[in-house]
Amino acid sequence: MRKLTFRGGVHPLHDIHEGKEKTRAGAIRPFVAQVVSIPMDMHIGAPSKPIVKAGDRVLMGQLIAEPVGGIGIPVHASVSGTVKAVAEKPMMKRAASMCVDIENDGLDEWTQLAPLGDVEKADPAQIIPAIKAAGICGMGGACFPTHVKLSPPSDKKVDTIILNGAECETFLTADYRLMLEQPERIVNGLRAAMRAMGVSRGLIGIEDNKMEAVEAVKKAAAGREGVEVLVLKTKYPQGGEKQLIQVLTGREVPSGGLPADAGVVVLNVGTAAAIADAVTEGKPLISRVTTVTGCVKEPANLLLRIGTSVQDAVEACGGYTEEAGKIFFGGSMTGSCVPNDTVSVTKANNGIVVFGVKDAVVADETPCIRCGRCVDACPISLNPMAMKQAWKLNKLDDMESKQHVMDCIVCGACSYICPAHQQLTPVFKTAKDIITARRAKK
Amino acid sequence: MNTTAIIAAIAVLGGLGIVFGALISVTDKVFAVQVDERVAKVRENVAGANCGACGYPGCDAFSEAVVKGEAPVTGCTPGGAKSAEALAGIMGVVSESMEPSVARIRCQGGCGISVDRYEYTGIKSCAHAASLAGGPKVCPSACYGLGDCQKVCQFDAISFENGLCVIDPEKCTACGMCVAQCPNSLIKLLPKAASVTVRCRNTQPPKVAMPVCTYSCIACKRCEKACEYDAIHVNNFLAEIDPAKCTRCEACVAVCPKKCITVSA
Repeated sequence: MRKLTFRGGVHPLHDIHEGKEKTRAGAIRPFVAQVVSIPMDMHIGAPSKPIVKAGDRVLMGQLIAEPVGGIGIPVHASVSGTVKAVAEKPMMKRAASMCVDIENDGLDEWTQLAPLGDVEKADPAQIIPAIKAAGICGMGGACFPTHVKLSPPSDKKVDTIILNGAECETFLTADYRLMLEQPERIVNGLRAAMRAMGVSRGLIGIEDNKMEAVEAVKKAAAGREGVEVLVLKTKYPQGGEKQLIQVLTGREVPSGGLPADAGVVVLNVGTAAAIADAVTEGKPLISRVTTVTGCVKEPANLLLRIGTSVQDAVEACGGYTEEAGKIFFGGSMTGSCVPNDTVSVTKANNGIVVFGVKDAVVADETPCIRCGRCVDACPISLNPMAMKQAWKLNKLDDMESKQHVMDCIVCGACSYICPAHQQLTPVFKTAKDIITARRAKK
Repeated sequence: MNTTAIIAAIAVLGGLGIVFGALISVTDKVFAVQVDERVAKVRENVAGANCGACGYPGCDAFSEAVVKGEAPVTGCTPGGAKSAEALAGIMGVVSESMEPSVARIRCQGGCGISVDRYEYTGIKSCAHAASLAGGPKVCPSACYGLGDCQKVCQFDAISFENGLCVIDPEKCTACGMCVAQCPNSLIKLLPKAASVTVRCRNTQPPKVAMPVCTYSCIACKRCEKACEYDAIHVNNFLAEIDPAKCTRCEACVAVCPKKCITVSA
């Protein structure tokens, strides 16, 4: 059978199995930090408002910040203990983030939970409010509030929910281990989302370098209504939302549109697992699986509490093997570099990848030779070399209207493939930011 | 040699030329577009840089707008007072006095002066640097020196010295294109005469602002006390000078412990 895939794309680190070998066999290991620092602005939308103050005792899963605005989500304590401080700290965002620091008392005492019960029997109308109350947002990296995603405007008819188990990003194995070890949670979460939205079709897409996970999820999905597991070709960015929708349903998300415009909602497998916990046990999202790999002594897939610092996570893996040159949140293709190792792991952090000083060099740009490899690699058929040229000439309007930079998914395939080491993706990301700000002003 | 063929060809082509020439001159008269001659005059008297600072797409569009009465005669900032006067003369209006302005950079935190948060190795763009974990400098309102302002300056007035933006007041025409580019809003159009400026935009509390830069304002209020003209005030942990009240006595410059108030050319 022809493998399911899309046009374009690249095969980063193909010769070393996408860099995943180091952590592939490592079972998920829980790790609890002594102190957590939970940022209030982990999700897309207005930062949540802290409702605790220094000195308060909080329990695990207790509400510590209320949502603000339409797409806000609440934040919960990820450990039981005493609040040490509520203060602004520099994190990954443009402005300093309000953070709640909690010192762990090691008791892991849960707050009162209100489960809805079995995902197949729970009242569908109660599921989305439960997801909101659990503070769940997209755990694949974007951190878009899930309850908003699951309640699209009434004029958009959603008939399919896709679970993204592609994990095409380099180095990461967090989703793989989750699918392998806890496939029931994932399928339960998918069923809960399907019932909440009244959708009859649920697809789970997994790349063919993770056949063990495919088997495990297939086994868990057997006999579940409307759930289907599909195998995808291993290629980057197979797990891009638009690519996944196109591959699995044959539909294309219109330019400037959302997946809901194509009648689809895409969730990460980790998000599905969190939904399952919220429905069956009433547990809020307070921990997640994160791959810690690269220049660390014992690379592992850790179950980290939200707010654990990078330093603690690396410590839990035996520490650095050499001086860190760059530390990525996420994989090496779409991940962002952290300014230092005191920043916290958020709900969206699927990986901490440490590069040594040797590997962290940025190659010097040489002139574009117009080979067109970036054009071939672009999964959404843009022309990166023309866009870069327009950027150099300061023609932002051309980038927007003629070259459609706003459709760029910032996957990094063009930068990766460029033999002249041109920095393409950061240029497009910046152009998108500037254009978005401009549109907001109008 | 067939001379008749040559003569015939010359006659036919020449004849056609005369006929079409006549046709063109007739059409030119009949379908002539009435152009206000003032537009051309106005166009001659604007700066002609097509910079877009007036808000119109180029000098031609601005000239038309001035003649239509839509744009003010003082609209061409690069042209300055000279252009405003000429335009007022053409339009027969009295021009309001136009004080010459200049763009000023309100930061002194170059390399090694403002403390780095991390080593930035990305693309040469301040907007990109600013979006990454709060920017490459610890100070939230520092000049990153990556040249977003320089990129839009059509008058070659912006250069960089030790990672800090420097604006040449002689070349600057106050078109204002750079103002919108700075992600930290460090550039402001100020009257050319207002030479005493607070060159810091850090609004953090003194304890935080103190270590981030050699020249950060720490809201000590010494300038406020030294000023006899009520021209300088500390609001939101940052000193600001009212150019209308300032007499350029430089008393504040002398007392500032962090040397963040400077006298520019």
